[in-house]
Amino acid sequence: MSRTTAPRSRQVIDLPLDVRTQEKAITEKARCVEDGRLATYRPDGRNVERFLALLSRRMNRQLAVSFTGCVHCGLCADACHYSLAFPDDPQMAPVAKADRIRKIFKRHIDWTGRIAPWWVGARRPVDDEDLNELKNVVFGLCSGCRRCTLNCPMGVDTAGLIRFARGLLTELGIVPEGIFNVSRDQWDTGNQMGVSEEDYLETLAWMRDEVRAELGTDTVDIPVDKEGCDFLYVINPREIKFDPRSIGQAAKIFHLAGESWTMPRWGWDNTNFGLFSGDDALGAFVAANAYDAATRLKAKRIVISECGHGFRSTRWEGYGWAGRDQDVPSESVVVTLFRWLEEGRLRVDPGRNPLPVTFHDSCNIARSGGITEEPRRVLARVCADFREMTPNRTENYCCTGGGGLLSMAEYRPVRLEAAAVKARQLEATGAKLVCTMCHNCIDGLTDVIKHYGLDMKVVQILELVDAALVL
Amino acid sequence: MSPFLKTLENEVQLICLAFLALVYILRLAWIFRFRSARDRGLAEGSGFRGAGYSLGSVAMPWAMESIRRRPFFYIQFVFFHLGVVAAIAATFIIPYAPGLFEKRFIVRGFQIVIGAAFASGVLRLVRRLSNRTLRSISRPDDYASLALMIAFFLAGTLAIPNHPEKGEAALIAFFGLTAFFLVYVPFSKICHYLYYPFTRYFLGLTLGRRGVWPPARGRRGSASSADGTAAGRPS
Repeated sequence: MSRTTAPRSRQVIDLPLDVRTQEKAITEKARCVEDGRLATYRPDGRNVERFLALLSRRMNRQLAVSFTGCVHCGLCADACHYSLAFPDDPQMAPVAKADRIRKIFKRHIDWTGRIAPWWVGARRPVDDEDLNELKNVVFGLCSGCRRCTLNCPMGVDTAGLIRFARGLLTELGIVPEGIFNVSRDQWDTGNQMGVSEEDYLETLAWMRDEVRAELGTDTVDIPVDKEGCDFLYVINPREIKFDPRSIGQAAKIFHLAGESWTMPRWGWDNTNFGLFSGDDALGAFVAANAYDAATRLKAKRIVISECGHGFRSTRWEGYGWAGRDQDVPSESVVVTLFRWLEEGRLRVDPGRNPLPVTFHDSCNIARSGGITEEPRRVLARVCADFREMTPNRTENYCCTGGGGLLSMAEYRPVRLEAAAVKARQLEATGAKLVCTMCHNCIDGLTDVIKHYGLDMKVVQILELVDAALVL
Repeated sequence: MSPFLKTLENEVQLICLAFLALVYILRLAWIFRFRSARDRGLAEGSGFRGAGYSLGSVAMPWAMESIRRRPFFYIQFVFFHLGVVAAIAATFIIPYAPGLFEKRFIVRGFQIVIGAAFASGVLRLVRRLSNRTLRSISRPDDYASLALMIAFFLAGTLAIPNHPEKGEAALIAFFGLTAFFLVYVPFSKICHYLYYPFTRYFLGLTLGRRGVWPPARGRRGSASSADGTAAGRPS
């Protein structure tokens, strides 16, 4: 007797809405929940109505043409790692995911869908169950890597549509628990990991002492809130919580390069969950914290540590969310390192990194941020055996942990199955180290390496530059 | 030529064309009704160069991985759309410059192009029906638009010799379908060519400003090799 197996997408789509952490936040009187900045789920039967009102209010020209421009050619399916990993599951195709929100757009806004909905597949959501399904698709089956967007012959920004849908659902509290929790932390503490100011300052002091001991000089510092520096350095809270070495490595390299720098007491988090949740207000709040810190401290530029979505949010999207034009220049720390190496400010020996290294382009940095060459130029100088993975640059596959997926445990099993594409790509390089300039990718790739038993380790560019330094 | 065919080739076409233009204007007004978003960060590259690259990607089959992997799909795309251009041109040539179709090689050329478009259309329909993912995302509009285009190409191939004295059926079918298309297109997915410049322009503008498009190789003083190996490594 044959046994039918439900498509893997159903394991994600059918997950119920869990609001326990939202209830906890209400009980604990979380500030952002109390003042309404972070929405919680209201089971009053009016969510569809609210959703449609938000859809109309938030629509813009770029989204409208992406909603209407799709011709259902299906080529995006070849670009998506979910679709490639599950070729027999049509719901994994980017177009199928986008159609879940597109059909609502067509029924509610587009005239063809209003005149003849059945003809173009237009349909309104009926109840909160429909919205919950949409939540599971847009949060659980897409890492927002934008590979489909760059491979769409029509130029439809499918990833943009997915983020738009996420934003509408976030405003209704119909979100995965992880998204809610991290958003809460970022709203209330100014950083996504809820790091207190005391912990932040103590960690910086600890790293400063470590570097001083290593270099044998007290002239090295990790300044905080120092005015008039060459640059303001903003980091990923993961560096404080789990990887403070990267701050020490940065401090050492900055010292050797001889530029003045500072970190801000407030506004130091370059990451931004607004990018993942689609919440532009959160995006504006977090990004503006860093922009304001640079202005307040009269920094000449902002340097963003190795974080993919942090770079994209701080360098590009944040200004749009905050509704302000960029006044202080900003760049990735990898671009800074590249310049210093070119200028001969840092002396390095590639022989100190003898293991074969490959480079993983972060989606947010390559496809949405325009940086592909500088990291390669840096690695070429500090590694003895660099091997390109295929495909690479803007065509690279996602680490599979993008889009905030690492914070959403309920989608992990399917995410790791979809990661087979990434695992094969990594394995084919024969490298022992996979270098990335993104903290999110570190965790995403580490998950993939562990799950598929690959003989590799993930490193960052700062780490390799530090190892290659000739003091 | 019967009065019916004459009216169909002339007045009916013009009325339908005017209707198409009116609906397009309304459609464009609808698009511009929405506010426009923009990147506010300092540009790394040129938005207009990015937009140009994006709009030109249709003629650069090597630029997109999805197309590189499916060269046959691209060839079909080229024939299909050349067929559209040829068929539309024929709807003007037959009533307004019929002398052109008195030359045998021109008729043959049009028939070959439109015939190839017909074959591409059939292959596309087969693909849509046989591919599970495509079937699942296809709506009646997707099938109808493709089926109508196939019928249009077939009628065009047969009508182009333009010999109403030998029978008007093919010409009536061709111009009847043309009139129907002119009215139907703005409400169907065939209207995608109206959106295409917008989607590609907006995407290209953003990615151009960010330095993603045109592709960055060789930019910012870097001179990495195509496979990225050993670029600029000190000897």
